[in-house]
Amino acid sequence: MKGQIRYEHVTIRYPGSDRNAVDDVSFECGSGELVVLLGPSGCGKSTLLRTVNRLVPLDAGHVFVDGADVTQRDAVELRRSIGYVIQAIGLFPHMTVAQNVAVVPSLLGWDRQAIARRVDDLLRLVGLDPDSYRTRRPSQLSGGEAQRIGVARAIAARPHALLMDEPFGAVDAVVRSALQRELVRIVAELETTTLFVTHDVDEAFRLADRIVVMRAGRLEQVAQPHELFEHPATAYVAEIVHAGDDVFRRYFLHGRELLRGGSQ
Amino acid sequence: MSSTSSAAAVSRARALALLGAAPTFSGCALRRADVRVGSKNFTESFVIAEIYAQALENAGMRVARLFNLGSTQIAIAAMERGNIDCYPEYTGTALIDVLHLGPIADSRKAYAVVSQLFEERYGIVWLKPSPMNDSQALATTRTVAAQKRLATLSDVAIAAPSLRLATIQEFLARPDGLPGLQRYYGGFQFREVRTYDIALKYRALLEGKAEIASAFSTDGAIVTDSLVILRDDRHFWSAYNVAPVVRKAALTARPQIARVLNAVSPSITDRAAQTMNAAVENSQQDPADVAAAFLRSMEARR
Amino acid sequence: MNYILNHPLRVAALAAGHLELVAVALVVALAIALPLGLFAARHPRIAPWLLGTLGAIYTIPSLALLAVLVRWVGLGFAPIFVALVVYAQFMLTRNIVAGIAGVDQAQVDAARGLGMSPTQVLLRVEFPQALPVMIGGVRIAAIAMIAIATLGGYVGGVGLGVLIFNGLTLHQPQMIVAGSLAASALSIVVDMLLRLGERRAATP
Repeated sequence: MKGQIRYEHVTIRYPGSDRNAVDDVSFECGSGELVVLLGPSGCGKSTLLRTVNRLVPLDAGHVFVDGADVTQRDAVELRRSIGYVIQAIGLFPHMTVAQNVAVVPSLLGWDRQAIARRVDDLLRLVGLDPDSYRTRRPSQLSGGEAQRIGVARAIAARPHALLMDEPFGAVDAVVRSALQRELVRIVAELETTTLFVTHDVDEAFRLADRIVVMRAGRLEQVAQPHELFEHPATAYVAEIVHAGDDVFRRYFLHGRELLRGGSQ
Repeated sequence: MSSTSSAAAVSRARALALLGAAPTFSGCALRRADVRVGSKNFTESFVIAEIYAQALENAGMRVARLFNLGSTQIAIAAMERGNIDCYPEYTGTALIDVLHLGPIADSRKAYAVVSQLFEERYGIVWLKPSPMNDSQALATTRTVAAQKRLATLSDVAIAAPSLRLATIQEFLARPDGLPGLQRYYGGFQFREVRTYDIALKYRALLEGKAEIASAFSTDGAIVTDSLVILRDDRHFWSAYNVAPVVRKAALTARPQIARVLNAVSPSITDRAAQTMNAAVENSQQDPADVAAAFLRSMEARR
Repeated sequence: MNYILNHPLRVAALAAGHLELVAVALVVALAIALPLGLFAARHPRIAPWLLGTLGAIYTIPSLALLAVLVRWVGLGFAPIFVALVVYAQFMLTRNIVAGIAGVDQAQVDAARGLGMSPTQVLLRVEFPQALPVMIGGVRIAAIAMIAIATLGGYVGGVGLGVLIFNGLTLHQPQMIVAGSLAASALSIVVDMLLRLGERRAATP
């Protein structure tokens, strides 16, 4: 049950609109799974993501993390147990890299030595040399480095679940590939349940154990990547994966292989 | 007395009092002054108030100064509210401006009346008066006096239609100002009446913009500009002796205020007042320095 | 200038009083402006109304406001103190709002998502970055208050304004010049010190 995320009939209304931002969504992420929320802008995927750490309130339904309804837990305490990465990263420019990464452990009251050790471990984990990066300021980082720090910061306190909202959208394609590969490796190593939002079909196929396709607040299909090709549930799904087009099929699955080194 | 020697002559006690009084100057609620001394907004009031303030400081009290109050009414209101504890007031002003009684030419009688009524009505006590009598007057230049043959107020009353008066606002409003003169003497219908700031009034006279100026008999300009005071031949004007007026509550709290100020007040003569006024107005000296010199000379004569 | 050289202690004492008046008023004004500014920053719909009102108050001529205050609280330290606190509100609140609003909202979102309480977001993320702009507001307010505080010489016997107004009444221009020069010097020094503070508070 570690890091399991479950949505049950979740509905979120748009004020002043007859359409719901999220409409009766139910699905589950297994422990350690990397689930991608895929859909066009405005489909409600980010909104849905942010219900897990209660940054967005529900109008109907329930969200469960580790088997417990999130509204039953103190919001601040809940958020400290769930990792959160956003596209703009939001590193704190008045703190060093080490201080940024150490935010959640220090909120949790870890002792200084434990924090220092953890920071170094995390920097290495995301592929950065601690000695060079520890005392740097965010203004001295490249886009890719900053996003690695963002990830390090999110997983610093060893959360069971990780929420990522289009985290690689702002970096160029070369850096993005590298980051995607790193993420898959890290998440597998730490067995962290990861909910990843993107509008990029390519990225979804590379990263996901399962993909949740959304449109206009509703679920279109929840399935493993190859099933979206073979058995698209709706016309929309068929369209975005270019079902039936063998060239695209091989392109997507090849990209996945490259990233993951073989299986699936 | 030059400015530099007076600066050098600032006693250590005064220097320390000044520094220690710096917070008192700001009136910070945390460090209340022992006594708050006020003054009105003309030179003589500044000087005499400064004499009172320094005498109190020399006696070891912390003094805050709220000088430059705009009028008698403001000063009285400040006393009633407790913003100030004492200030120099004139028997004549108190009689006419505050108590709305007629003028009393006899100094003793005027003092008796005001001190009794102020205590009854306002809880304000009059300490010992000074001999100086800063009565109201009309002044003119020697030239004009000679040209127009003016020696007394009666002369001016008759000649007024050919004369321009330079005066202050209060003189036109107060019953013992121009209205009183007109009633008592008759005449005094000036060709032109203009009001000036109290510090600029004599300029108009000296620059030929007016022939007569309302004045006070201790004005320094009288001495330095060789002005002529027109004699009050029919004794219209009241006595105007200055005295420290103090809030009763302040006296009760600090009775030494009376002892200190009563020791100083009787030494302020007409002559002393004119000289000090001239020093400030003409030699551009700081009233604080002039007052200090007065107090020192008072000590020397002991 | 001569007056200052001949009466150094007197000018220094008045300058100290002037500074004390401004400093105390600034502290009290900040104590009011901080919660006010925070409230405005958190409620962007109300902010324009609040700042507009404070701005309108700021345009009230200082002498007029002082006249009203003297009626209520009498002469002395109180009326000029209250006037300074009132006038400072506009500049302080405006810069507090600008400072906090100027913080990248992505950082606030990340901070919340990581698990900072609202107070922690404020103290650890927003304030440190808003500080330079807020100190800038303090600087602007302090300069204005040093100038307005000269009126303390008119209603309170406080500060360097005493020299200016006494000089006017006694018709001694040297006193007026001394008071004005000293007040200007105070302004310049305070401005320099607070600019230093602004720079040191800025994020590298």
